[in-house]
Amino acid sequence: MAGSGKLMAVMGGKDTMTGFLLGGIGVLNKHCQPNFLVMEKDTTISETEDTFQQFLNQDDISSILINQHALDALWHCIPAILEIPSKEYLCDAANVSIPHRARGMFMSENLH
Amino acid sequence: MASRDLRAELDFLLLQLLEDLEQLEAKRQALNARVEEGWLSLSKARYAMGAKSVGPLQYASHMEPQVRVCTGEAQDGLQKFWMVRAGTQTPEEVGSRETALRRRKGLPRTPEPDSSPAPQNPLKWFGILVPHSLRQAQASFREGLQLAADIASLQSRISWGRSQLQELQEKLKQLEPRAP
Repeated sequence: MAGSGKLMAVMGGKDTMTGFLLGGIGVLNKHCQPNFLVMEKDTTISETEDTFQQFLNQDDISSILINQHALDALWHCIPAILEIPSKEYLCDAANVSIPHRARGMFMSENLH
Repeated sequence: MASRDLRAELDFLLLQLLEDLEQLEAKRQALNARVEEGWLSLSKARYAMGAKSVGPLQYASHMEPQVRVCTGEAQDGLQKFWMVRAGTQTPEEVGSRETALRRRKGLPRTPEPDSSPAPQNPLKWFGILVPHSLRQAQASFREGLQLAADIASLQSRISWGRSQLQELQEKLKQLEPRAP
């Protein structure tokens, strides 16, 4: 059982971090990067961004727990995902994700 | 007939989606409550042990995870998450080891090959005797981790449900084009 499964990364304040590390999700050894970042008042935005990008790139991390206020500052790190057509499959303009979600918010007859 | 079946399926999916959303909201509230309980217990532990005794200064320099997240893909991209505990021993394994220790008189002690040592309980970072409030904090955050896995599964299920709903709505539009 030990070694199977992926890790959960955490980015948050001291108490949040202490709590989740007490829960047993922390990893810190010479073979892999730590899966947590304690965010204090002097933690810079670039450090937060770099750590977030690192977690996104790690294959052994399946999910990230992050304080909401920290995520608000990181949305620009998440790249814009643009759906483009391919030669083999036509692009379905009605199903492009963002406009589709927006349409769903205002058109109640879609649910009939 | 086909559109009637589609509508029935749409209704079912929509109801399922609404139930999942309700469950998600309940789990989020439960997670927030566990985390807040954990913060309070940590504050109590800090009061008992000293202001600097419960914090990043006590973190071990070497950590192995006690819990991991397992993921599985069910159907059509629906992902499920669940927490798995590492290094747990069965009662039979614990019993046999105790018998071996009792027979050590006169026998040279041979170190047992430890292929997968159980990860250390993080409570030990804070000392041998820790206050009950620190154990309570650990219990609250452990429950929080289970809830986090459930929330991740629900979020995946809701995204899947929404995409299924959109597909069915498109099929219905093709079967029943609107009159101008």
